[in-house]
Order: sequence, then structure tokens, then C-alpha cells
Amino acid sequence: MKRWLLLVLLAPAAQACELPGGPVQSINSANVAIAYRMAPLRVGEHFAVEFAVCPAPDSVTLDAWMPDHRHGMNYKPAVAALGGGRYRAEGLMFHMPGRWELVFEVRAGGRTERLAQSVRLE
Amino acid sequence: MRFWFGLLLAAVQSAQAFSDAEVRAIASHGPWPPAFRADPSNRVSGNPQAIDLGERLFFERRLSADGEQSCSRCHLPERNWTDGEQRARGIALVDRNTPSLSNVRLQRWFGWDGAHDSLWSQAIRPILDAKEMGSSAARVAKLLRADADLSCRYRKVFGPPAAQDEKLLVDAVKAIAAFQETMTSGRSAFDDFRDALVKGDKAGVANYPESARRGLAIFIGRGSCNTCHVGPAFTNGEFHDTGIPFFIEPGRVDPGRREGIKKLLADRFNLLGPYNDDRKQSTATGTKHVVLEHRNFGEFKVPSLRNLALTAPYMHNGRLETLREVVDHYSNISPDRLHSDGEAILKPLKLGEGESKDLVAFLESLQDGGNNYRRVALAADCR
Repeated sequence: MKRWLLLVLLAPAAQACELPGGPVQSINSANVAIAYRMAPLRVGEHFAVEFAVCPAPDSVTLDAWMPDHRHGMNYKPAVAALGGGRYRAEGLMFHMPGRWELVFEVRAGGRTERLAQSVRLE
Repeated sequence: MRFWFGLLLAAVQSAQAFSDAEVRAIASHGPWPPAFRADPSNRVSGNPQAIDLGERLFFERRLSADGEQSCSRCHLPERNWTDGEQRARGIALVDRNTPSLSNVRLQRWFGWDGAHDSLWSQAIRPILDAKEMGSSAARVAKLLRADADLSCRYRKVFGPPAAQDEKLLVDAVKAIAAFQETMTSGRSAFDDFRDALVKGDKAGVANYPESARRGLAIFIGRGSCNTCHVGPAFTNGEFHDTGIPFFIEPGRVDPGRREGIKKLLADRFNLLGPYNDDRKQSTATGTKHVVLEHRNFGEFKVPSLRNLALTAPYMHNGRLETLREVVDHYSNISPDRLHSDGEAILKPLKLGEGESKDLVAFLESLQDGGNNYRRVALAADCR
């Protein structure tokens, strides 16, 4: 019993998230884990992001902005739920080179958590 | 002594190789020219017979209400497909400068405000606009049905004409777009330099003028011009407020992209509409997802810089007459004029006299060897 309790305490609150189909990148917080995948990015080209959220949330949005420039994208992505905590976001475009931030907003149990990932585009 | 030291310093600086990051930045502006890719939204894109018909329609004055206007009235081949005027003039004076059509097929949005999402739907606007050609679907359809030669060529491309005038109008602009897709600029001194740099060809690199090379270093360095002027066409295809006044005349403003998005979404010829030949609508991603924001007010499209030296005057309203004036504008731009909630990108470059000349020299090095358009000899009568 003591051993079980110790394991629970040592385990990350958010377990590793899986997204079948190849290598992924991940973002974790204490409560949420996100695994995501996107094709190589090019300035001025639309792209999609496939991702999984663990545990499966009530809803999730994805957006991006350039913190140094204080502006976002010129496009609003649409996120489609694929089932089982998996999603596909379409309509993103980074229209400038530089540092962007992908921002996932995860809503679960009446709480919203924001997870951000920096992406540098040459 | 100071003079000789300055010369020596300049020589050392010019001999310095570009860093790896700078080489990658320079390489990103090529290769040139890009391969042709047919436009899926236009079923006659790349079709030689459609190009032939489109070329005839591009120069055809009978499409206009007064019989005097044509696409070529403002888009002159010898001026890199613009007109050299501050603001375009068709039947009446238009509010904006005539944009060049050179390399237009590489664009995502069309017009200074991007109110159109395809090359062919863009061509409808000047044909119908009362200030430009003042025409109508009925006039265009009547010409295509009644003129024996045009009617024959139309049938060869599209088959028997439909009963609806609007369908003929759309076919006509798709043929015009097919012709416009052939307007590609040639290779420039910069392209030779860029390719030599990528290959490690020192002799080729040495052929590029030192002044242009210093200007290029400013362009991709302190100037950060390549933040918006990206890629082989030197544009990200998007929209920015660069501090050019909004006023067309006292009491009348040009809202730019903000109005352009509204027009785009209301346009029944857009890529979400029935005339898109791309059934999967893979071409309509931008239109589906574009978002209207307050900051779009006063934004205008980032133009390509290729053959820039041939397209004076500059900016959406043609208020800057020379390349030097454009460089001076960015050198002295007022941050107070730009949106406070907008981009923190533009700041005065405060270029010295030599730096300004170098930047102009670089921009001039983007010019190709000369006008490569030759109107094809008119083929025999269509049968």
C-alpha cells in the first residue's frame, strides 16, 4: 500500500499523451499533456496541426501569435474533434519569420488551462 | 588619414562573408523563376488556347462601356504591367495606384486590399467597376457570342456558350487569368548572386556589385525588410500598415484590408462560391479562415519587389515617386503614426546617405534583363 502511494505521488499529474502516426512534440502542465504534430512550416503557407489532449478535455482551441510583434495570425483556425481526445486544427498560417507561440486552451471540469509552445520560423 | 582608414574599413567589411544565417536568409529568396503550377480553381489555367483567348481579351477595348478601356490600358507590358501613374485612370480616376501584374500568379490575395481570392475573380472587378471599364456581364457575353473570331476561340476552350451571361463573364476572366499567369519576370543580378552564393561560386559572387551587396545586408539585417518581403517573390502576400496616409482626399479615407475582407466574404465569385473549379476547395483555405480585425484598417498588401525599379510611383496610393523616397520613408517613419495596438515591427531605420544608396542599389538589382513579353503574332482566323 505504501509503495502504491509513493508511485502515485512521483508520477506526473498529466500522463504522457500518445498520437499515433509518427514522431510528435509535446507540452505538459501539471494537469494536462498535449502531443502534437505538424508538417515542416514555411512562411506564408497554411498548415494544419494534429494533436491529442490527455486527459480528454471538454473542449480545446488552438491559436498562435508573435509575442515580440504583439500580433496574432491573420487567420482563425478551426479545431475538429476526431474522438478519443484527438483533434485536427486547420487554417493556421505564420505570415512572418521569427518567434511564434502556439497556444492551446484546454477546458475541462469548469477550468481553462493555457499551454504555450514557442516555434521559431526562419 | 581618416579617409584612408574609412576606405580600408569599407573594404574589410565588403570582403566579409555572410554568416550562415544570412546565407540561409538570402537563399530563401530563390530559386527563380519558380515552376508553373496550374491554379486548381481555374479549369483552363495553363491551357494554351485559353491563354490565347485571354491575351486577346486583355487587350480588348470592346469589353468596356465606352469602348476605350481595356486591362492593358492600365497594365502596360513595357511598364512591367503597370502604368506609371500615381493613381489609375479608367473611365474616371481610381483611388489607388495600378499594381503590377508581373508574377501575379504567385499571389494569394488580389488587389491592394485583397478583396479577391483568385486571379480570375479579381479580373471581374475592373471590368464591372464604373470608374474602370464600366462594363457588365451582358456586354461581355454579347461580345463573346457575336464576334465570330472570339466566339470560335471561346468554343475551343469552353465549348458551346452557356445561356447565362454571368457564366460567360466568369469564363472570360478565367481565360484572362490564364494569360496573366504567363506574366513572369526573368532572372535578375540578385538571382545570379544568390545562386552563386548557394553553390559557393566565388567568381559568381564577386560579380554582384558591392553597393547592392551592402544594401542586401541592410535588407536582411538592420532593416528587417525580409520580415514582410519574404521568399522568391519578396512578399509574404499579406497586409500591413506601413504609415502611408489613409486619406484619399480631405474627408475620404481608404480603409484598405478591413474593407477588403468584408468585400471578399460578400463576393459570390469567391472561392467558397459555385464558380470555383476546385471541387475539394483546397484553394479556399484562406477565405474560410481569414479573420476581420480592427487592425486591418489601413493595411495594404505587401507588394513583390521584383522589377520594382520599373513600377514607380510606389505604395497603394502612388504617393512616393522614387525608390529613394521609399527608402527615406522607412528610414524616417514615425512610430506615432502606426496603430498603437498593432505591430511593433516598424521603426525608423535612420539610414545614412551611403546606406540609403546601397539599399536602392540592392532593390534595383532585383530587375530582370528587360521586358520579356512579346505579344504573339495573331494566329490565323479561328475556324
